[in-house]
Formats: sequence, C-alpha cells, structure tokens
Amino acid sequence: MNAGSALKPLRSLLPVLVILALIALVPLFSPSNRFLSLAISAGINVIALYGLSVLFGQTGILSMGHAALVGVSAYAAAILARDFGVGFWVALPVAAVASAIFAMIVGVPSLRVGGHHFVIMTFAFGQLLAIVLTNGGDYTGAATGLDIAGPVTLFGADVTELTRYYLMVVAFVTVAAVASWAIIHSSYGRTLRAIRENEKLAASLGINVGRHKIGAFVVSGVFAGVSGVLLAYFLGHISPSQFSSFPSIYLALMVMIGGARLIEGPLAGGILVAFLPEVLNLDPVQSRIVYGICLIAVIMLLPDGLIGGIVRALRGLFAGKAKQEAERDAAPSEARR
Amino acid sequence: MSPILAISGLSKQFGGVTALAGVDLAIEEGEILGVVGPNGSGKTTLFNVVTGVHKPSGGTVLFRGRDITGLAPHAISRAGIGYTFQQAMAFAGLGVLENVQIAGEHARAGGTANPWPTPQALLDFVGLSALGGEKAGVLPFGSLRLLGLALALATRPSLLLLDEPAAGLNDRETTALVGLVRQLPGHGITVCVIDHDMKLMQMLCRRLAVLDFGSKIADGPTEAVLADPKVLDVYLGGDL
Repeated sequence: MNAGSALKPLRSLLPVLVILALIALVPLFSPSNRFLSLAISAGINVIALYGLSVLFGQTGILSMGHAALVGVSAYAAAILARDFGVGFWVALPVAAVASAIFAMIVGVPSLRVGGHHFVIMTFAFGQLLAIVLTNGGDYTGAATGLDIAGPVTLFGADVTELTRYYLMVVAFVTVAAVASWAIIHSSYGRTLRAIRENEKLAASLGINVGRHKIGAFVVSGVFAGVSGVLLAYFLGHISPSQFSSFPSIYLALMVMIGGARLIEGPLAGGILVAFLPEVLNLDPVQSRIVYGICLIAVIMLLPDGLIGGIVRALRGLFAGKAKQEAERDAAPSEARR
Repeated sequence: MSPILAISGLSKQFGGVTALAGVDLAIEEGEILGVVGPNGSGKTTLFNVVTGVHKPSGGTVLFRGRDITGLAPHAISRAGIGYTFQQAMAFAGLGVLENVQIAGEHARAGGTANPWPTPQALLDFVGLSALGGEKAGVLPFGSLRLLGLALALATRPSLLLLDEPAAGLNDRETTALVGLVRQLPGHGITVCVIDHDMKLMQMLCRRLAVLDFGSKIADGPTEAVLADPKVLDVYLGGDL
C-alpha cells in the first residue's frame, strides 16, 4: 500500500477533528450555563451514537433499546460509587464492560433471529431493564432512581464544574469519533460492511456472521457504557425512565438523521436533535412531532442521513459540471456516428 | 488416490418432499466434474447441503478425509471449499476491489503458494482490473458473475463449487468463463459445476454425474453418460 492510499482515510477524519476543535473553543465566548448543559447532554449522546453508527451504519443492525445499554453503565457507576466508594475513573472501564456484557446477553439470543425481529428484541430488552430497575427496591432506588455524588477529578483538578466537564466530554467525543473511524477503516470494519451488504455471501467467504454481529453489538455497548458513566456523573441523579423506550428511539433517530455511515453523522445528529427544540423554541410535545416529521423526511429523502445528503448534493454539483463538460466533449463523436 | 470430496448416502427432506435421496458422489483431486439434471432434480440442494447452507437429513460429507457434514457455511469455506451462487452476488454497496479484499481476509492460512497474492492479481485474472474502483452494484451482469468467481477464489479454495456459473451470460462471456474455469485445476483447484446447459458441460467436463429426483442415475465419462439411455430418457425432449 502506498502512502497516498494510507493517508486517504486520514483525510476523512480531518473535518471531524476540526469541528471538534472549534467546539472545544466555545467556552471562550462565555456561553450560558444552559447552553453548556445542553451541549454536554448532546456530547454524551454523541458518544453512544458513535457506537450505534458502528452497529447500524457499518453492520446494518438497528438497536431500538440502546438507551438500556447506556442505563446499565449509568446504574453500574452509581452502585459502584454507593456500595464500594468507587470513583469516576475506575467506574468508567468497569461500567463500560458491564454494558458490553449486557449487550452480549441481549445479543446472543436476539441476533439468532434476524432483521426486524432483532429490532423488536432490543426494544423488549430495553423495556425489561426499565421494569427491573423500577422494581429493584432500594438497590436500584425503584422509580425514583439513584443519586450519584462525588467530584470527578482529572490530574488532581476538579472537573465537576460545568466548563471543565464540557471540555472533558468534548475530549471523550473525540476519542469516540477516532475509535469509530479506526473501526470503519480497519479490516474489521470491512467485515462488518460485508455482513451489512449480504450475510449469505459473507458466510460463504468464511465470515462467522453470527459472531461478528454479536461482536458489533458488544462494541456499540462499550461506547454506550462510556456515555452512561458520563451521564450519571453529569446529572448526579438517574432514574429508569431515562433509559426506557423513548430515549432509545431518540438515539436511533439521531443516528438516522445525522447519517450512520459517515463519521460526521453522529456528531451532526446528536447536536441537531439536542439544539433544535431550543433554537425553534419548541415544547417537548411539539419537539416530538418535529422529530417524527424529521425522521420520516430523512428516511424518504435522505437515506444516508443529513450529512450523507449534503455530501451527495456537493458531489452531484461537481459531478454535474464534469458530466456537462464530458457531454460537450462527447457530442461531436455522437454526431459522427 | 482418495477423492478430495466423498459424499455418501447424502439425503435431504424438506417436510415431506425428498430433495436428495441418498446420493453417493466422489470428486477426484484436480478434475472438473459436472453435475447435471433437470430442474428440481436436487443439484442446488446438493450444493447447499455440502456447503452448510442446509443441514442434511442423513449421510456424510468427507473433505480430504475430514468429516464436514453439517458444519456452518463459514466453517466449510475456511476448510477450503469455495462456492458461487446461482444468483450472481457481490457486496453491492462496496467497491469491486474492496469486495475481493474482504473475501481474501477470512481465507484459511493455506500452505500452498497463492496463485493470486493480491486482490488486484485476482481482478486481473478474471478480467475486471479496470473496474476495481467501481461499486459492485453498478456492474453489468456478466461482470458481476466474474466478480462472484473472484470472491470465491479469494478464499483460496482447494475445491470450488460453481452453481450455474454461466446462467444469464451471452456466448462471448460464457466462452471467457469456460477459459477461466479450465485454468483452475492447473492452480491446484478442483472444480465441480452444476448446470443443465449441456453445451457448457461438454466444454468444461470430462466426467458427468446425473441427478434425477434426488438420486444419482449416471456417473462416468461425459461421452458415455450422454449416450446412456437412462440419461436420454430423463432429458427426453431436451436438446442433447
């Protein structure tokens, strides 16, 4: 492989890194606390969305219970802090592993049934988790949920303060974006795309389809797990309803609106869905209606999501020009025939 | 020399329908064997059971002496049996070169020299090197068939099963395909073709096996099989 083709994938990462660098500069403009809170929530979602993009964009599997994976790690972090006095940085890997294991437990039976059934199974597991948490008594705090206290420190500095937490979340989003990019451009990513395109053919070429599908779900679980710990420590309080069906549908919606296959997609989807109601001044009911309309519009008009649509439009613009020129050049030879 | 693939008593029932009724078939190392038979005679079912797409109802399949009966498709592929589908297939949304790359990445670690060490070499072999940058989904049908062949070859099989490889191809494309398939034994790849196109089979195979209603009714040198009254009876009305 020559240097040119090795650098090409790097170029696809560059725009995201530039955007994230700009986003990291936002605190310089002294934004309001409300803005920062919204941005942190959006960033935490984006981390989970990068996992979902590996699952849905690359492997072609849609999870409608993804918030449950976020919830498992959020609760794991809260319980670890309460019962074992474990802090943020230890909870982070442990809770991420907990989400990954939960993903495997859901994935093994669910992925035996293909396609649409998987969507329903993940939805059911998501609901199941919410029911279990609600009925978990004092251990899970029942419907009220759990508090999670304790400062998050980084190199001895307290990062619980809003601006610092914001910057930390941006850093995590960057790591998630790079990780997702690395997966897309690895041979593992190619394997997942092969499964998305044609499972039967993939199996005939020696790909263990079932294992890789579960693997992709587990990988997406790790992203969801990191997202969950950040969420728990950000909110300071978690409850079952945050991880039930509606949040799961929102996550799927965000990844579809942004576009699951391109590296900018999760970032765009997460930011758009978080800030749209704010910008348009919508109440929760109105925003649900708008999301619904957005989803239908994206599915019908932009199958690759907003970012995919923009890329296609730009390409079409340039290709259109090139085509016109080519046609002009070809015209005389056509006439001769 | 023991056969590369030894099928014995292989049967498959779908509900009450018997698709294979105890077939015995040996594929010898280095040959191009043809399996023919009218529609519904069990040819594709035979392939599907050998390649693990369907679990057999009875019988055994030995690949180089190893029992591979009922293994999963990916395990059969990794054991060294490649196959192409009756419906030409590729990963439509991915690039032609990426298609071949993927196919090569899960190949077994073969001890023998690989005749096509890179995806590009394989595309050269099947004559698609100019189309490496295209999406597989936009290929014309004939090229798609060739890509399917390249994908199967990328898994470095020692036995290649081709299910109606020339279906839908024009004469020129068929001739090109025949030229490619004939080279395979020279690269250490044994071939088994199923088709009902007798002209194609006569071009490709020195030995034919004939299936009818899930049973083997003839097996031997192509000329002898085509002169067999039982075979003529099955194909009565067909142009032999």
